[in-house]
Amino acid sequence: MPIPNTPFSWHRNKENLGIWHGRGKVAATGVGTSPTARRWDEKPETSMGALTLAAIRKAIDDAGIRPSDIDGIVLTPESTTGVTNDPNTPPPEGWDKVFKMVDYPQAGITRGDIDWVLLNMPELSNVQFKMYGTGCMSVAFTTTAEAIARGHTHTCLVVRGWHNLAGRYYVGQGAAALDTASGPFKYGAWGTPACSTAAFPFEEYCRKYGKTHDMMAAFVVEQRRNGLMNPDGFYSQHRPEMITVEDYLAGRWIAKPANIYDNDLPVQAALAVVMTTAERAKDHKPKPAYVLTHAQTRPETQGVTPSLESWERLSDKMGRMLYEGSGLQPEDLDFENMYDGFTLFHQFHLEGLRFASRGEKRGYALDLYQTDISIEGPNPVSPSGGNSGNGRTRWWNHRDSILQIQGRSPSQIKKPANNGVSGAHMPHFCDSLIWSSSPD
Amino acid sequence: MPKQSPIPDDFDRPFYDACNEDRLVIQFCAMCSRYQFPPRRACVNCTNVNLAWQQVSGRGRIQSRVVVYDTPTSTLIPDQPFNVATIALEEEPDVTMFSHLPGVPVDEVPIGAQVEVIFEATPATGQKVPEWRVVG
Amino acid sequence: MVFLISFDIDGTLEFGDPPGGITVEMVRRAKELGFLIGSCSDRFPSAQRAMWEAHNIEFDFVAAKHMLPDVRERFPADKYLHIGDRELDQQLAEQAGFEFLWDHEGVSEPWLDWLRTDGQ
Repeated sequence: MPIPNTPFSWHRNKENLGIWHGRGKVAATGVGTSPTARRWDEKPETSMGALTLAAIRKAIDDAGIRPSDIDGIVLTPESTTGVTNDPNTPPPEGWDKVFKMVDYPQAGITRGDIDWVLLNMPELSNVQFKMYGTGCMSVAFTTTAEAIARGHTHTCLVVRGWHNLAGRYYVGQGAAALDTASGPFKYGAWGTPACSTAAFPFEEYCRKYGKTHDMMAAFVVEQRRNGLMNPDGFYSQHRPEMITVEDYLAGRWIAKPANIYDNDLPVQAALAVVMTTAERAKDHKPKPAYVLTHAQTRPETQGVTPSLESWERLSDKMGRMLYEGSGLQPEDLDFENMYDGFTLFHQFHLEGLRFASRGEKRGYALDLYQTDISIEGPNPVSPSGGNSGNGRTRWWNHRDSILQIQGRSPSQIKKPANNGVSGAHMPHFCDSLIWSSSPD
Repeated sequence: MPKQSPIPDDFDRPFYDACNEDRLVIQFCAMCSRYQFPPRRACVNCTNVNLAWQQVSGRGRIQSRVVVYDTPTSTLIPDQPFNVATIALEEEPDVTMFSHLPGVPVDEVPIGAQVEVIFEATPATGQKVPEWRVVG
Repeated sequence: MVFLISFDIDGTLEFGDPPGGITVEMVRRAKELGFLIGSCSDRFPSAQRAMWEAHNIEFDFVAAKHMLPDVRERFPADKYLHIGDRELDQQLAEQAGFEFLWDHEGVSEPWLDWLRTDGQ
């Protein structure tokens, strides 16, 4: 029987649903992060699949449990947003000497596969619940929270690997190199790079609220600072280079008003997290990071690209759903770790949550960036450093929220981290969770 | 600008055939009285699959813009940097299309200006696509 | 005669990511023969400086990739060359009045011929 995707009925994408039925009954404990690399060198032992297995082992070890304690796995199968192989591309020579194979030849290379993981980790002998949280690891997190709250699994792995093959990520590759366009590419034949999705609404935002792109510099510099504190991040491991305001302002435009440093760097990496019931979390080694609620928004875009109006409307809705489901208020959040890859996404999420708002509803985030948004300050913005500070994964933010609540983040905020939020990816297409040090 | 030529399929052929006749035809959902573009299998609002193709006025306003300096599309690299604007259709401003705004200097896009559709033949196959020019 | 060579880093130089075909030895030879050399890359200028220093190469300039016109203005020369691995490198070089070589074309060090032919 094929492994199912998250049922739509599990989504909390409406208002007036009340407090989440699983509030405080689910927690994250063990966290495992693989080493990172800029690109895959085509060796089996450095493949996305190998990194995934390494992350799983670390997460189980970190939780202080046995592999046989795991009874569920939720995995995000897509492992890139860029260049990938044809699904039928055979694996490289020597692959079958290192890994057991499933029918899908790209499993472990350019696609995550639960059966492949289980075949290559026979010690995960008690997995009964399997589900794909597709598209984004945020979906895997919210799916796992719901699965545990509903009693489908008790101790579950949340998993995502990212691959980055040799060569350039998008430019002049595949469909973009042709003089014809088919499928979904044909409506984007105007040559917009991916960051345009963020740049169009950002341009509208700046006009509406009288802001400028230069005001992003403070945020991007802080992201890199936070990322360089993380020993598991790509930049700290491979390019420990600090960006300056001058570097950012001199950045080459990709799609003005998005410059090269508003774009995140594709990398190879994997994350696994152990989530469990509040009861069982007491027996795990790390302090539990409880889930108080989760929520989803999905695109309602009628046109070729989202507008400012749709991003403001849907990120506002996300904020309202999270506060309703958790019973918290904006002032209860000690930090926010919303998505940043592209960096221009971030302020839309932040304002939807009314994070650090002094009564402002919209148009205040870029001003907030000019204040103390550091981990030492009163309003820690994105303490994970996000994709901008660590490389593209869409999960640094979730990982760090768990570690912050557990009090062991490498970029730990200085005030007590009692409640925080993480979510990805776009302001109109997002899965978010509120994390807490207390189940109550 | 030498755009890639879109290859119509059975699903979106009504849109592309209309372009070749210099008409702008997009999907309309009678259940919720909404237009949408690009073509999709169902209404993004109510998931109705019985969508009609309707001709629209071909008038709109410039909603936003970017200036592309690093396109992934090989055929457009020689023309960098170039404008790309989003055009909000007069019938329903939530429905947007892209435009290179032929004739508008780079970085001088008049946000909010009225535009009207024109149809541009793409080099590889001759398939026409909608483009937009500033009115007045 | 003064000749200036700008190297892209990633995909062009052997210590780029991905590595390119232009070796440290080729760059060092050009410098020793009197070429003005430096990098125009998407790496931060501070990171570019650190990379040259790590390979013990004296450099004349570092700049962001789109700042080739600025390099041309700062360094009067008889001939300007940029070596890179992307169509964008080629476009930016040509717009700035630089000759352009793909990274693989640079492997044979064609700039050394300029010394014999006065850049012809």
